[in-house]
Amino acid sequence: MSQTLKPETAEHLLEVLKWAVAEKSSLDVRGNGTKQGFGRPMRTTHTLDLSGLSGIKVYEPHELFMTAYSGTPVADIEAALRQNNQQMAFEPADLGPLLGMAEGTGTIGGVIACNLAGPRRIQAGAARDHFLGFNAVSGRGEVFKSGGTVVKNVTGFDLSKLIAGSFGTLAVMTEATFKVLPAAEKTRTVLALGLTDTRAMKAMSQALGSANDVSGAAHLPAAQAARSGVSYVSGAGQAVTAVRVEGPGPSVEHRCQAIRGLWADKGAQLEELHSQNSAALWKEIRDVRLLDAAEGKQVWRVSVPPMEGAGVGGELLGASGGEVFYDWGGGLIWLAHDGCPDANHDQVRAAVAKAGGHATLIRADADVRGLVPVFEPQPGPLGDITRRVKQGFDPEGVLNPGRMVEGV
Amino acid sequence: MTTKAAHINDDLIEALRGIVGDRLSLAEAVREQHGRDESYHDAFPPDVVVYPETTDEVSDIVKLCAARDVPVIPYGTGTSLEGHVAALKGGVCIDLMRLDRIISVNPEDMDVTVEAGVTRKKLNEDLRDTGLFFPIDPGADASIGGMTATRASGTNAVRYGTMRENVLAMTVVMADGRIIRTSRRARKSSAGYDLTRLFVGSEGTLGVITEITLRLYGIPEAVSSAVCSFPDLEAAIETVISTIHAGVPVARIELLDDVQMDAINKYSKMDFPVLPTLFFEFHGSKNGVVEQVETVEALATDVGASDFQWAVKQEDRNRLWQARHDSLYACMALKPGSKGMATDVCVPISRLAECILETRKDIEETGLLAPIVGHVGDGNFHVILLIDTEDKDDLEICKAFNERLVMRALAMDGTCTGEHGIGYGKMDFLVAEHGEAVSVMRAVKMALDPQNIMNPGKIVRV
Repeated sequence: MSQTLKPETAEHLLEVLKWAVAEKSSLDVRGNGTKQGFGRPMRTTHTLDLSGLSGIKVYEPHELFMTAYSGTPVADIEAALRQNNQQMAFEPADLGPLLGMAEGTGTIGGVIACNLAGPRRIQAGAARDHFLGFNAVSGRGEVFKSGGTVVKNVTGFDLSKLIAGSFGTLAVMTEATFKVLPAAEKTRTVLALGLTDTRAMKAMSQALGSANDVSGAAHLPAAQAARSGVSYVSGAGQAVTAVRVEGPGPSVEHRCQAIRGLWADKGAQLEELHSQNSAALWKEIRDVRLLDAAEGKQVWRVSVPPMEGAGVGGELLGASGGEVFYDWGGGLIWLAHDGCPDANHDQVRAAVAKAGGHATLIRADADVRGLVPVFEPQPGPLGDITRRVKQGFDPEGVLNPGRMVEGV
Repeated sequence: MTTKAAHINDDLIEALRGIVGDRLSLAEAVREQHGRDESYHDAFPPDVVVYPETTDEVSDIVKLCAARDVPVIPYGTGTSLEGHVAALKGGVCIDLMRLDRIISVNPEDMDVTVEAGVTRKKLNEDLRDTGLFFPIDPGADASIGGMTATRASGTNAVRYGTMRENVLAMTVVMADGRIIRTSRRARKSSAGYDLTRLFVGSEGTLGVITEITLRLYGIPEAVSSAVCSFPDLEAAIETVISTIHAGVPVARIELLDDVQMDAINKYSKMDFPVLPTLFFEFHGSKNGVVEQVETVEALATDVGASDFQWAVKQEDRNRLWQARHDSLYACMALKPGSKGMATDVCVPISRLAECILETRKDIEETGLLAPIVGHVGDGNFHVILLIDTEDKDDLEICKAFNERLVMRALAMDGTCTGEHGIGYGKMDFLVAEHGEAVSVMRAVKMALDPQNIMNPGKIVRV
């Protein structure tokens, strides 16, 4: 009979895994379960609930790192960081609401396992780039650790990078160590109104390539801008292109001026958002709140070289009849469309393949996710390596079997 | 100690000639050179050196070696420091320096794809007109392939990160000769396991990297350097910590101790005070840089620093940094005829002062002449041990010193190597540091290279 196993300690987790390996039982590994709708649907013998492994273990603000148990809610971590004016610079997205779950309940283990990062990714990198080390139990039922607390470490294979984004299929983390960085003193956002998608990509590229240290660059077509809770954006009545600048006060003002100067010849009306409105807008972008995510809608996340963004976006719209907005300077496209049995899979993959990118089906009913590949299919040799790596870590297929690729 | 691969014979050489023609060498001097890096480790020459010009040729060479169970050792500029290129079991050395094309520059997407043999200086010369640059600077003019394989970093990692944050994708010839592209130019989110990062730092043990796509950065509008002497080491490190904690996006912070400053003064004919000294470099907009320098100057002055010198002009900056880059040669000039053995521990910054002071004491007690330089923004420092490689006692004393240093760093929650890597020189330290994880690494190695032909005897024993 299916059970939910909820270890309270790393030792207990190890026992559970040894037992599962011996019994050849498979486990649905989860934190608070906010992302159970992300990835392929699984049939597992039992559920492994990690929410009991919770709490901040070591937080050294001066050392700029934190070690937390994997089931620690991100909200708790962010609250502790705020008290010291620090943040996780990769800006982890809270996809809970998009996936029909409560806001603010995801765990740090989940963020790392799914390698979630927000708009600051273009400047600061993804979750994996901030993930320094971990303790884990492999699918062989063996405890191991990798990395450490220092930023530079070249001791052998970089297992942290392999674990980040592996969706719990290789090992179960018990604790994770990650970088924390000072939060910016001031944030401003320069807005350009009314640019076409193509011109917006150019404008964002220009800002990103300048010496102004841009930490976010997004383009919202008119209908998506209209959904914003920030009145300057929703009231624009046209497309809004936004770039974010963060840092000490005088420097931020100077850089905003410089970006306005760069964009002076665009023939677009320029506006500026101050700290509070900036924070609200970038959170909406980060958590994908600007799409019509009504029940039954399906959502894709598409990654392409930034300058291909507008072209691919146009094709996706034509093929699916849905809606899009762009983050990461055009390199990230969020697409929502009406639900259909194949999630427009072939059309989406074809549009993305031409540009040299990849697409992930983030939201769809389980039967659809069971039918079409959720992640970008890997060509022959890459698929072989994936299977061999999985085999190396989890030969019995105990951990999240089939979550990423059928049969792996 | 050398056991020749059993299957190197005339037949293999002929088959290799069939792929690369006369771009192949059996000459002793060439083989000797390809079996040695810049370290003190013993050289192990390969049996033959080949010079392919394309990924397809590399693939054919590896297929040939796989069919005959012959070791394959990728080679770039030979500037590694832990015997990474030593052909411990003989075999075929693939010199990748003729794969030297810059394949595509995408200024608007801020990326570039190059072949493995392009060096970082050549890349930056080629990029100059685009207003972009590739920042990772390990000192040596290393090849991008080698920098990727060793996960190189260097003096400006504080601001720009290391190779691991800056490689977007690569083309790799696997151990069975098949060619894979690990990712694409798009920022990767989730398309399977992150094989790109797995190959970054794999030291040639998982496959041969032939092409790399790198992230580029805008050339900063303004660059400024500063040098500042401190009454003692603690004050210098206190300044580093407060600078980073204040969120100043400093590009480089380098610590040179008094012994090193003395060496630099003598070698580069400078007249810096013989005191612990920090070298800074700031990148940003004009105003941003001024602000950064003023903030750091105030922080340094707070802890009793004197003589804060600020260089804006290019020639002044170059002179300063040239002196820093020449520090290894300056050290060797302190003891003519010696070779530098560079240690590479990295500790949390809060333990850095303690670690360096204990190490300094150990240097004095052991009676060594050993300057210290450090990329202190990230807790990484090098003790330059000047050794007479002919003198076995000297070598043993230095090795024992390094072992004590590594154990000290591990006890402080640090690592045995911040940027030089494992090679065959630090395999025992890897076990001391990671224990069980080494068996997981072995599983990864076996998954990707079941025959153990890719640079065997490095990172993990199979």
